[in-house]
Amino acid sequence: MTELSLKINGEDIAADVEHRLSLADFIRDHRRLTGTHLGCEHGVCGACTVLMDGEPVRSCITLAAVADGTEITTIEGFDDDEPMSDLRQAFHENHALQCGYCTPGMLIAARDIVTRLPDAEEDRVRLELAGNLCRCTGYVGIVKAILSVLDQGRA
Amino acid sequence: MKPAKFEHQRMTSVDDAVKALGEADKEIRVLGGGQSLGPMMNLRLAQPDVLLDLSRVDGLTDIEEDGNRLKIGSRVTHARIEDGEVPGTTGAYMQFVASGISYRSVRNRGTIGGSVAHSDPAADWPSALLALGGHVTAAGPEGLRTISLDGFTVGPFSTGLGFDEVLTGFELAVLGPGARWGYYKVNRKPGEFADAIGAITVGAEPRAVCGATESAPFRVPEIEQRLSAGADELSVVDARNILEEHDTGFDDYELQIHAVALSRAVKRAFE
Amino acid sequence: MPDGAMGQGIGASVLRKEDKRFLRGHGRYVADIARPRMLEAAIARSPVAHANGLKVVKPPGDEARVFIADDMAADGVEPIHVVSKFPGHKASDYPHLATDKLRFVGEAIAVCLADNRAAAEDLVAKTQISFDPLPPVVEMLDAVENPPALVYDDWGDNVILDSRFEENVDGINSAAVSVTRSLRMNRQAVNPLEGAAVLAEWDPRDERLVVHSSSQIPHILKNALCECLGLRQSQVHVIAPDVGGGFGYKCVLIPEEIYIPWVAMQVKRPVRWIQDRREHLVAAANAREHHYSVTLHADADGTFIGVEADIVVDSGAYSVYPHSNILESTMAGRTLHGPYKFSAYKVRSRAVATNKPPIVPYRGVARPGICFAMELAVDAMARQLGREPYDLRMQNLVPGDAMPYKTITGGEFDSGDYPEALRRAGSLINVAAVRERQANREADGCLIGVGFGCYIEMTALQTSAAARAGLAAIPGYEQAHIRLTPDGGLEIGVGVQNHGQGMETTLAQVACERLGVDIDMVAVRHGDTATSPYSTGTYASRSLIMAGGAVARTCDVLGENIRRIGAHLLQCEFDDTRIEAASVVGPSGNVTFEEVARVWHRNPEELPADIDPAGVEVTSGFRPKPDNSPFSYATHACIVSVDPELGQVEILDYVISEDCGTIVNPMVVDGQIIGGALQGVGTALLEESRYDADGQPLSSTFADYTMPGSTQLPKLRLDHLVTPSPLTEYGVKGLGEGGAIPPPAAIANAVNDALRGFNVEVTETPITPRRVLATIAGE
Repeated sequence: MTELSLKINGEDIAADVEHRLSLADFIRDHRRLTGTHLGCEHGVCGACTVLMDGEPVRSCITLAAVADGTEITTIEGFDDDEPMSDLRQAFHENHALQCGYCTPGMLIAARDIVTRLPDAEEDRVRLELAGNLCRCTGYVGIVKAILSVLDQGRA
Repeated sequence: MKPAKFEHQRMTSVDDAVKALGEADKEIRVLGGGQSLGPMMNLRLAQPDVLLDLSRVDGLTDIEEDGNRLKIGSRVTHARIEDGEVPGTTGAYMQFVASGISYRSVRNRGTIGGSVAHSDPAADWPSALLALGGHVTAAGPEGLRTISLDGFTVGPFSTGLGFDEVLTGFELAVLGPGARWGYYKVNRKPGEFADAIGAITVGAEPRAVCGATESAPFRVPEIEQRLSAGADELSVVDARNILEEHDTGFDDYELQIHAVALSRAVKRAFE
Repeated sequence: MPDGAMGQGIGASVLRKEDKRFLRGHGRYVADIARPRMLEAAIARSPVAHANGLKVVKPPGDEARVFIADDMAADGVEPIHVVSKFPGHKASDYPHLATDKLRFVGEAIAVCLADNRAAAEDLVAKTQISFDPLPPVVEMLDAVENPPALVYDDWGDNVILDSRFEENVDGINSAAVSVTRSLRMNRQAVNPLEGAAVLAEWDPRDERLVVHSSSQIPHILKNALCECLGLRQSQVHVIAPDVGGGFGYKCVLIPEEIYIPWVAMQVKRPVRWIQDRREHLVAAANAREHHYSVTLHADADGTFIGVEADIVVDSGAYSVYPHSNILESTMAGRTLHGPYKFSAYKVRSRAVATNKPPIVPYRGVARPGICFAMELAVDAMARQLGREPYDLRMQNLVPGDAMPYKTITGGEFDSGDYPEALRRAGSLINVAAVRERQANREADGCLIGVGFGCYIEMTALQTSAAARAGLAAIPGYEQAHIRLTPDGGLEIGVGVQNHGQGMETTLAQVACERLGVDIDMVAVRHGDTATSPYSTGTYASRSLIMAGGAVARTCDVLGENIRRIGAHLLQCEFDDTRIEAASVVGPSGNVTFEEVARVWHRNPEELPADIDPAGVEVTSGFRPKPDNSPFSYATHACIVSVDPELGQVEILDYVISEDCGTIVNPMVVDGQIIGGALQGVGTALLEESRYDADGQPLSSTFADYTMPGSTQLPKLRLDHLVTPSPLTEYGVKGLGEGGAIPPPAAIANAVNDALRGFNVEVTETPITPRRVLATIAGE
């Protein structure tokens, strides 16, 4: 077992966990924050994306032990976050989700795009989204939603 | 899909890691960003007993230009390189390569040193850095040493690093302002591992690398000679003929896409 | 219309009611549910494709945490057994856990339990498995012609069913032109982002088994649990909570849905199994895999006469419950004709067993293969005749004025204008402009091609058609249960399962249209056998037709009951009332549903003693009369660019002109079609479950199984024809699957158009760069 202390969604947390525990399983099974989803567990699908110290990372291939001392934000931790509020509304209005399974990771990846690349056009948005798989929507609604938030920011 | 048991040890210095590696009587792996090792451990394709985590070790995240050498710490992430932290023409080349590695959330964690030490044949940095030229710096029981990038990657998951050595960084050739470069990766969709890589730099000495092979990436002297002689294009047919003289084990399809990758890398270099 | 001016009924792009929870990470999938004292399961699986003499040694010291087939047999658990009524179908059992014989890599052998999944996987590693290897049956054509072994020793061969569909066979002889092609759609995986998942526990208080499963068919799963475990219906409660995509994979029973609940009953603790991606890719969700030898016969002027085909479908090792291992082969044999007129038909279709995972229904079920075969044959015929493929299609599609149209194999197209869909798609894609562009070399050296794919899809398979086809699963009617709640809202219970289709919204829209209740006051409940009417579930693009019809009809009955109460409150005759905007309107005034609900539920003293106690809680149902299925149809057309040096195919433009009848929610319809289309692009270009000669899977992670991503289909335009079906409420037709059907055909035809200068054709999906280069090289 290894001790860790970290912040999740602003809350200080100390825990004693197995060395092999992934950050995703720590968030989901130990902290019961189940909005972070596991889709592949080998870093390809993006469903498990969370913010670590403000940057999106794959929580399925990041050890909980490695997250010691960091600040983690999961989909449950964006209540007062303006870009996320805008994205949620845009996803809703553009039918950017169907089954909802990829949505938390997709939203966090989308937030990274709108904050890091405010000038991005459609081609770039599609390229940046290549690391998040959605089996339902065909991505059209997702791309539209992200572009609409980018456009708001540019207006 | 969960890893087998291992012990995660937080290192506070490179020396500690070297010592731990030397004393180990079990399988021990150095953990960089963990973006390649993580999936392999989840799939139980890798089952190390001990992981040495270098994330608390100072001094491995610097980027500095020192005359005609560019020093890059092993723990510099792909994302920092993508964001332009490496200066000059070399930086532009590396920025292009970094931006095509996997996805942003992986690039935020994955490191250049981890990629080269892991030595997946389909990864970008082993090929891209070989085309740049320079040295790997490694810390071992005898202290620091430099190892030429030429020949450093031996094969799949196999490098010139000793079992008790830690890759600490790179000293890379600096491309002058007028130098040209071209990098072409053949893959099925953005971010996927490469099926073929062509990497060209035309600095003081042109270098041409055929990468994403079954084994290690290799320099292609015939192409380098042509570039030295002033060639600014390379047809696919010529590239095929040249590669056929090398012992690649390529089938016809692989030969073709590697030839195209090299041809298009040259094209990009002179566009 | 009762909907009034609210704009929330049929035809409105109402934003989805279910979005809110998903956008905040508050969806609840099976893996999100944990129970006190819960154990996690990991499964020891077969490392070999074909073997007998299986022996398992449980890890010493942990025997009580490991369960094998012998343990289940000792407890009298029955295997899964699916018999089709089709004459000649060879029956077989699907063991929950492998007994003596192993039939595919990934077949479940032992269930290992521990406090967490990692520890359970440690137990898997310690479980010793030995066996005597047999030669594997990997390639379906070999399985028929030159079998290296028998998947079932007592069958005599590997053919599950050999069926023939023949009409006016001699008519073929009059053909002036015939083209023959050998075509293959390879095996792929379904890959909803959430895999399968089961959480089971025995509830001693209620004396019943409670099973959470990521399922499209909770009631059917309940039946299977009762049959296999010997439980009464009252002893099983199945809940499908939020389901992270299904696409057909989750409308079949998987062995884990039986053995995980059984194990939970043995250990008297909750047990959870979450399928990981490798299990999904290797051991479970395989689909497609058809081979066609197809000959198209035509007059000299291009009028189609007949189609002749020999179809082989690789059904894998087992027959899945309830849809069986002949669903694809018989559907392919019966409906190869597609949307075209034929006067002669001679098709043989065989389902074949191999040492690979059983194939499961996947979005489109057989029709992506049928469409690929027929549409490539049509293009081949056009090339043979020197005709534009568009024109040849136009000449041979069943015209709108022929509706309803009896097909050569006895089906009936209900409505629509197939040539008009082609015309619109052709106009959007602009064939003439492509031909002009092709006359000049592309600057990047790539080759441009245009291709079409036309299809028909029978949606919401009906009772008599299913019975006629001898299917193992025969759907009947569909019910809805609706309660007027004390606040004047509606709670609707349906037995279908919503997992991305937006039914919590669209079914509410139907109720809204019927009764005018504000959509925020309508709650749709589903996925729970304890609270929903019995249903065969969500599959076959049936939910909006069937459950939508049931909601509409039940609203009518409920509306009458409400009017009766309203008539009393308004002191008028029942016949003088009507429903408008959630109110009962009478000659002298109106009374809101809220008021009716208040009086009925809380102040019954205000009603006369002889009021009908049937009240405001109604279950009623729907089925089309006659029980025919509406046919959706569409034409997809695309322009592709082929890189002749790398063999890579890029889609430059993609258009869809479709008719799914009356559209309930345009936003949801577009979402279903686009999502399906990208899955079809995956089938066409990327996705393949590859096996080596030993039957070892080569596509066991997303690193070697390429999923379509955000860059594959950048430009897509939709166009809708609306021909209401005469068979359904509001004229709706099913549309959940259609988008996935024609992309392989349209894209392959476009690639072949691009390659026409080489005089070669691709004949196999996915159209990988390696295959394209081999095709160009004439290999």
